[in-house]
Amino acid sequence: MNDRGWLDDLYASGVTPASFLPDASLGRQHDPDDETAAVAVEVDMVEHDDLRVHAVALQPAPAGVSFLDGIQQWKVIGYDGVQPIALAYVAAAVRRRGSDRRLATAAWAARTLLIAPTQVLGDERRGALEAAGLETVPVEVDAATQPAQVLELLRREVHRARAGLERKLGEQAVATRDAQAWLVVDGQLAVSAALAKHPRAVGVIKSHGAQFLSGRHLERALTIPAEHRTSVFRVRGGHGRSEVDSWYLRLWPWEGRDLHYGLIRLEAARNPDPGTRAPELSGWLLAERAPLAAPDARFDRLLYPIHDVEAYLRSRAPRDLLVPLASRLPQTGT
Amino acid sequence: MIRKNDETPIGRVVATELKPATPHQFHFWTATDTSIGIGAIVKVTGPGSRAPESGRTVYGVVTDGFAYSDLATPLHDVIGAEGDPAMAAERPTARSEIRLWTAAVLRQIPEEPLQPVPLGAVHVAGDADVAAALRMDGYLNTAQPTAIPVGLYESGGLEAPVYLDADFLLGPEAAHLNISGMSGLATKTSAVEFLLSSIFQHYPAHRGSVAAVCFNVKGPDLLFLDQAGTLDDADRRRYARLGIEPGPFERVHYFAPFKSDGVNLNTLRTHAELARTVEPLVWGLIEVLDFAEVLLNRDDIDAKADAFIDFLSDRVVRREFEDGFGGEHRVETFADLERLFRSIFDGLEMAGRGDIWRTHHIATIRKVRNRLGNVSTRCKGLVTDDGPASDLPWGRFEDRGVYVIDVANVDPLGQDLVFARVVSKLREHLERRDLGVDAVVVFVDELNKYAPADGADTYVKKMLLDISERGRYLGLVLFGAEQFRSQVHRRVVGNAGTQVFGRMDSDELATPGYQVLSPATKIKLATLPVGELMVRHPHFTQPIFVRFPRPSVLRGRDGVERFPPAADLPFADAVGLQMVRLDPRVRTNQVKDLITGHDEVDVRRALAAVRRERPTDALATFRKRLGVRVGSEPARERSSVQPLGPIAEEPY
Repeated sequence: MNDRGWLDDLYASGVTPASFLPDASLGRQHDPDDETAAVAVEVDMVEHDDLRVHAVALQPAPAGVSFLDGIQQWKVIGYDGVQPIALAYVAAAVRRRGSDRRLATAAWAARTLLIAPTQVLGDERRGALEAAGLETVPVEVDAATQPAQVLELLRREVHRARAGLERKLGEQAVATRDAQAWLVVDGQLAVSAALAKHPRAVGVIKSHGAQFLSGRHLERALTIPAEHRTSVFRVRGGHGRSEVDSWYLRLWPWEGRDLHYGLIRLEAARNPDPGTRAPELSGWLLAERAPLAAPDARFDRLLYPIHDVEAYLRSRAPRDLLVPLASRLPQTGT
Repeated sequence: MIRKNDETPIGRVVATELKPATPHQFHFWTATDTSIGIGAIVKVTGPGSRAPESGRTVYGVVTDGFAYSDLATPLHDVIGAEGDPAMAAERPTARSEIRLWTAAVLRQIPEEPLQPVPLGAVHVAGDADVAAALRMDGYLNTAQPTAIPVGLYESGGLEAPVYLDADFLLGPEAAHLNISGMSGLATKTSAVEFLLSSIFQHYPAHRGSVAAVCFNVKGPDLLFLDQAGTLDDADRRRYARLGIEPGPFERVHYFAPFKSDGVNLNTLRTHAELARTVEPLVWGLIEVLDFAEVLLNRDDIDAKADAFIDFLSDRVVRREFEDGFGGEHRVETFADLERLFRSIFDGLEMAGRGDIWRTHHIATIRKVRNRLGNVSTRCKGLVTDDGPASDLPWGRFEDRGVYVIDVANVDPLGQDLVFARVVSKLREHLERRDLGVDAVVVFVDELNKYAPADGADTYVKKMLLDISERGRYLGLVLFGAEQFRSQVHRRVVGNAGTQVFGRMDSDELATPGYQVLSPATKIKLATLPVGELMVRHPHFTQPIFVRFPRPSVLRGRDGVERFPPAADLPFADAVGLQMVRLDPRVRTNQVKDLITGHDEVDVRRALAAVRRERPTDALATFRKRLGVRVGSEPARERSSVQPLGPIAEEPY
């Protein structure tokens, strides 16, 4: 991305330069799909009839575990009239833990995208975009769509691109890896049918916007003490569209902090004997709380290997994407 | 062993605003299990991140290293392990770590324009890289090379020879070498022995001839340079890599003064197999008088005493001299001088002419007599009252010859005298270009004793300063060694073109003279293994660590075990041995028969004469010099006369 001659051409075509970094482009703080509580979700208790709380004993991590995560960065680089044009970078990687307890990259993929409402751009601007040599992703708008709404559409497109990349790498990983090796996915497992069915894939969800439980079940789930888990429940529907087993696990004590502090939700493929698998998986993932992923603000829920994948992806991300092209302070002297 | 540069990079230069790359320093990271360490030489190749840097090659030496993980604060580690260090080791994932190194630039190619180091790939240096990095190519691969191997640069399985420039080690461009380090661990003596061997084999013929004079000031350190030592395979491999043929020195000449008996040599090299190779070192009045300043302390040498000594040197010694009271003298020995003094005192007393003789006050004369008289007492065995001297072969020094002077058991005053006179004579002959060789390396151990940083300006210290500052023009090269460099006069160490450091004491490293070294380099110096040295040389812009093989000569303490010193012989046997040494045809019994009934002083004088003359028939000359036997007769009883009053106390 160092060669930015195309950007000069774009501005020359009439695009007004802009430098706007949406908050989400600084790092994926949460999964927007999780926030959408409106999506209907059905839950069945599968381990017990009722939601129960179990103590978790630490378990050694299995050998050869891989971790999958992705990042997204984007910014508005200009406006054609009031229509924003965004430059985005999404990447995902699978890092495998070796016998030396260090992570090494097993797979990596990235895309650099120009996202814009192309059908409403002027011909010259559209031509300059196409001549940039980057992958262009159009978003559907009409002339009446407000810029703020277009920005939301751009954001969703970036998110979709990142999720697609993660899904692709995840599916490749489970298809090509040793069948005995585990894959830990940052986020929902249910977004991919292949992952959702794989017996050695587990999703780790850090944000709890989606509501799976209610009433006393919800209270019990969100107030479990540290080193405890809930019993397993089966999730149907939602964004995942695949049935998975799920349960909550508390990594760190939440008292004195926040209800969600140290709380993660795990997803794994349906299993006829969830009462056997859940304690093992929980014990292992509980052990993954060390080393601490600090100074990341989400360290109470962010597993260190996932943090490592993010750090790896950020280290490979283009350095100039997040650098503002111009100061947001007003220009002086003109 | 890797000799060519491996093209696989071992690291990458990184630069941040806080740690930028500069023309003199850069930082790079490597894998955590890298083989490089402090002192490693690396090569940075462009193109870096900017096109104009293409083709730039930078050589550097690692001066510091850092390791850290992504841990923001140690508290996070404690929390993660729940306060249990054992649990910390059981974490399923190891934190990301970095090995970050700081390197000082040795050389940039091209050298102009001088620019910051490009952010390029880092490689380990091969043989050619080491030569280029240390600017050795200017004197190694030329039509008339002047390269002297000093050791092997070793890093990560790589060995590359490091060479000094003879023009900067032995002159005339720069000269002198100073080596410092802890006793027993810095292997200073071994390093000098190895380097002398290297010089003798690699000093180019077009630069002339070279010899070495070594003062053995403690134990048997330098007493077996002509005997082969034990080498292991690693040493032999290093010798081969350096292009040096291991073996003892071929032309070693040993000199030692006598013990107080005047016939047994004052050295540990007295084993029957080796004793014949040690020449006595005996000086008389003529040799000593010019160095009276060495022997007399500052309080003694006032202007009046100095003037009287000059008078003796100029007007009396080796001349026919009339004492003014009718006595004729020819002063060549301390005994002759004593006779002159007695004559002067008697003459003044008899003539009643007061206290002045030839403008010199009698008190001054008595003072000089007292001090000079003490010299032959304190340095008995080295300075003889009478009889000719036995000295170094001035004017006949051999090319690649080593002249070892054993003064280990000599009184400090005598050591000073030996040192001052030998070096002065070397200088004198080198100035006249009639020493026999073009350059001489003088090895002085315990330099802090002879040229201390503080204390009085002794003759020896002034002489060492003079050699340090002007010796290179003459070919007089000082190789000095000491335990604490900070305790040696800074002009002496400062003028040493080549500085060598063995394992150093931490307290010494804390002194201001080592401020230029990084903390990591200091730590390395404080923990250097035996056989490894840090070298600074005018061509090297940064200190370089090298490993040298064990010298292929017998170590002092091994030599003493293999050749235990012989017990002192009775006078007659010792004289016999000396005669046999001078002429193998002589039988000890013949000598014993000859000297029976003779005074020991006469025997020593005769022996010294034979030694000086080196006649074909030593026994005949000895007999002639010994003269006829004079039968003893009992001394007659002398009637004493009571003094008129108490004798005034001798003020001197």
